[in-house]
Amino acid sequence: MIPILLGVTLLTFVLFNMLMKDPASRFAGRHATVEQLATIRAELGLDRSLPEQYFLFLKQIVTLEFGRSWSTKQKISTMIDDGFSATLCVTVPPFIAAIFVSIALAMATAYRRGSWFDKSMVVACLAFLSVSSLVYILALQWGLAYKLGWFPISGWDPSWTGRWSYLILPWIILFVLSLGVDILLYRSVILDESYQDYVRTARAKGLSGVQVYSRHILKNALIPIITNVVIEMPFLITGSVLVENFFSIPGLGGLLVKALNESDLPVIKAMTVIISIAYMVFNLVADLLYSAADPRVRLG
Amino acid sequence: MVKFAHRLSGVIAFTVVAALSFSGCTKKVDDKDTTLTVPLVVNLKGLDPIQADDLYSNMVVRNVFEGLYEYHYLKRPFTLQPALAESMPEVTDNGLTVTIKLKKGIKFQDNACFPDGKGREVVADDFVYSFRRLADPKSISNGFWIFDGKIKGLNAWIDAVKTGKADYKTPIEGLQAPDKHTLVIKLVQPYYQLNYVLAMGFASVVPREAIEKYGAEFINNPVGTGPYMLEKASDWIRNSKITLKKNPNWRGQTYPSEGEPSDQAAGLLADAGKALPFADTLVFTEMIEDQPRWQNFMKGNLDFAVIPNDNYDSAIKDNKVLPELTAKGLSLDNSTAVEITYIGFNLKDPLLGKNKDLRRALSLAIDPESYIKTFDNGRGIPAQSPLPPGLEGYDPDFKNPWVQFNVAKAKEMLAKAGFPDGKGLPEFTLESLSSAKDRQIDQYFASLWSAIGVKIKSSSNTWPQFQEKIKRNEAQIFPFAWGADYPDPQNFLQLFYSKNFSPGPNDTRFSNPEFDKLYEKSLTLPSGTERTELYKKMRDIVVEENPWIFLRTRKEYRFFHAWVGNFKWNHIENAMFKYIKVDPKKRAELKGKL
Repeated sequence: MIPILLGVTLLTFVLFNMLMKDPASRFAGRHATVEQLATIRAELGLDRSLPEQYFLFLKQIVTLEFGRSWSTKQKISTMIDDGFSATLCVTVPPFIAAIFVSIALAMATAYRRGSWFDKSMVVACLAFLSVSSLVYILALQWGLAYKLGWFPISGWDPSWTGRWSYLILPWIILFVLSLGVDILLYRSVILDESYQDYVRTARAKGLSGVQVYSRHILKNALIPIITNVVIEMPFLITGSVLVENFFSIPGLGGLLVKALNESDLPVIKAMTVIISIAYMVFNLVADLLYSAADPRVRLG
Repeated sequence: MVKFAHRLSGVIAFTVVAALSFSGCTKKVDDKDTTLTVPLVVNLKGLDPIQADDLYSNMVVRNVFEGLYEYHYLKRPFTLQPALAESMPEVTDNGLTVTIKLKKGIKFQDNACFPDGKGREVVADDFVYSFRRLADPKSISNGFWIFDGKIKGLNAWIDAVKTGKADYKTPIEGLQAPDKHTLVIKLVQPYYQLNYVLAMGFASVVPREAIEKYGAEFINNPVGTGPYMLEKASDWIRNSKITLKKNPNWRGQTYPSEGEPSDQAAGLLADAGKALPFADTLVFTEMIEDQPRWQNFMKGNLDFAVIPNDNYDSAIKDNKVLPELTAKGLSLDNSTAVEITYIGFNLKDPLLGKNKDLRRALSLAIDPESYIKTFDNGRGIPAQSPLPPGLEGYDPDFKNPWVQFNVAKAKEMLAKAGFPDGKGLPEFTLESLSSAKDRQIDQYFASLWSAIGVKIKSSSNTWPQFQEKIKRNEAQIFPFAWGADYPDPQNFLQLFYSKNFSPGPNDTRFSNPEFDKLYEKSLTLPSGTERTELYKKMRDIVVEENPWIFLRTRKEYRFFHAWVGNFKWNHIENAMFKYIKVDPKKRAELKGKL
């Protein structure tokens, strides 16, 4: 983990310094003078050598103290704390719901392959896939929130009791958005399995279709499903920028994009480290799940 | 399996129906609530006045903090009036000494930073402290330019602070408080824009106790003298909304009884003499995207909003509000920004810098009218010079000979520049931002210039990269804008003064000895005919030399609801919410019908 983290931090640092030759210029405003730029460089530590600046970056990772944002002057730890809860509230429920629903629907479509149900599901999934997420957001926000008034158009309440009303429409959108891809993928994985010899053996033993699918096929199809779920997991942290922006939800996705747009290096550094660690943890979780799903996979 | 799918779909349907019925409950509109809800189109950064360097932070911060002067709400041209000062300053010693008397009994809001939690009286020393804090290198405020090189001893104090040889106790010759209610500012040379900069947010007064208690966290714990205050930290949900409550310690003020001639007819003087502020609570909601912001406004969740480009046609036709909107009680405030948008040339560039005819050809190929029509729904005025409408010296009849869409003349000028039909010209680079609209604008410019044979490639940047390229003189051609810091043409003409080369505001590196001479002379003159004439001469030099292609000055169309009164936008000070009134009964009656 440590070499990967070092590699990521080095890459972030090098790329940022290649793109921004003099980050101090972004603070100085339109009325800057050469002296003010020099003062800002000194105050931000940008007048130090690059290796020294990189060493300080590593120190920040070890101490988990990333300082303050260049842009807002807010403490980065507070910014991340604030965004974390909002993002997880937005992303986790539709993510979990989408996993179960898409597996169930994929199994149903595979079980009834070739039927009108299967064909219409495939067409619907392709339609879901083909339309930009922005269209779903705009259409559902306009239709369900603005026109019908079923949900608040946008907003946020940090209290646990107050936030739900602001979450339901983003949940529906994120849920719908992930269904198309997931159902098609899981359906093809399940169909691949359904032609295997062991399935024929199970059927020959006299097991019912439902039993064959739930006890045998699903178990064997779990590895690619787990892989897909793990690939999608970082999204839980980075959030959905569009959903956050359109629904005015103060999450981490918006924070990261804003930091990138504003070349806010301290925030970019902190977010890069968090996302890298999250990737590594999710990969570890995936390995554990692989071994649970398939006894042939051994850890160690 | 099918049974299972059916069951599952039943559960989903139940959840959705339950969720819908839960969220569908609408709150009853309170007919006594005078809250004014204001949209912010970017996220609020913080609440420290010396860091509030963008329009939207200023919009919030200036309700909490005040300075010595402020702008009259209704009068145009923009007019200053005392805020915390008792009167306008007394200027003596040939303009070098400025004495300002403070109002007595002004108090900071109550806060835990004070010994008994009660806000203490504001004294002249608080201004000395606040101005030092603005100048302090550790503050990293880009607002220091308002005093840079202007106040005796201030720059020397900064140098001494950097080397640890001075602190906040070290006296500064030009900043003195001879008694509790007198502030004396000694200037290096007359500074006729001083009153204006003293009305800017950067020059707000802050209490030393709060800075000492909260340190860098002052941005989240503002303590000011303004009409509103952040009552408790939880009233600011970062990146979502901030709620400000009436400050019970506020000095008090009444609604103005004078304004522009049209204000009477517009009903803007009906509340003359009434106590301010009208709204008990101000809520600023951060809505970055246009559509949900407009939808929230149309539902009455926001009290006013700028109409987005995409919704323009559904609200306005032939410059008139559509009847279906007027039937809903919506009114329009149409105001002209104090700004110029332009395309700058880097005059350090060996080709563009030395060839005036080439710059003129590029200018003649641009059509500001069609630009305004295409990108602003026609909301704008083609800019003719560096002096925008509303400022001293602006002449609505002045026509810039190089601001006219004339392809034949542009080609003629290009030939005169030595590049007939663009032959022999290298491809130019147009630096711009990366948004979809900016890319469309790039294509628009490229197509107009290609009509005369000039090739352009565009380079997309983030905002900091764009700024950096300009500050480092690495941008060859760049679209940019300048919004007034204060309503004096000097604020625009300084952009052409050769001692302000980038990283300063002269980002084209325009240099003209005659212009410099006139500019320096104008700085020594108070407002009046003589100075206005100098401004016009400087304008003519800039027009003649063409360091910019003048594009336009934007008009802003803000809609407000029938329950909102006294709405008049001020483009120099955008935080005038203490004057705006909400009629809660009317809101309760109308909001449900929207």
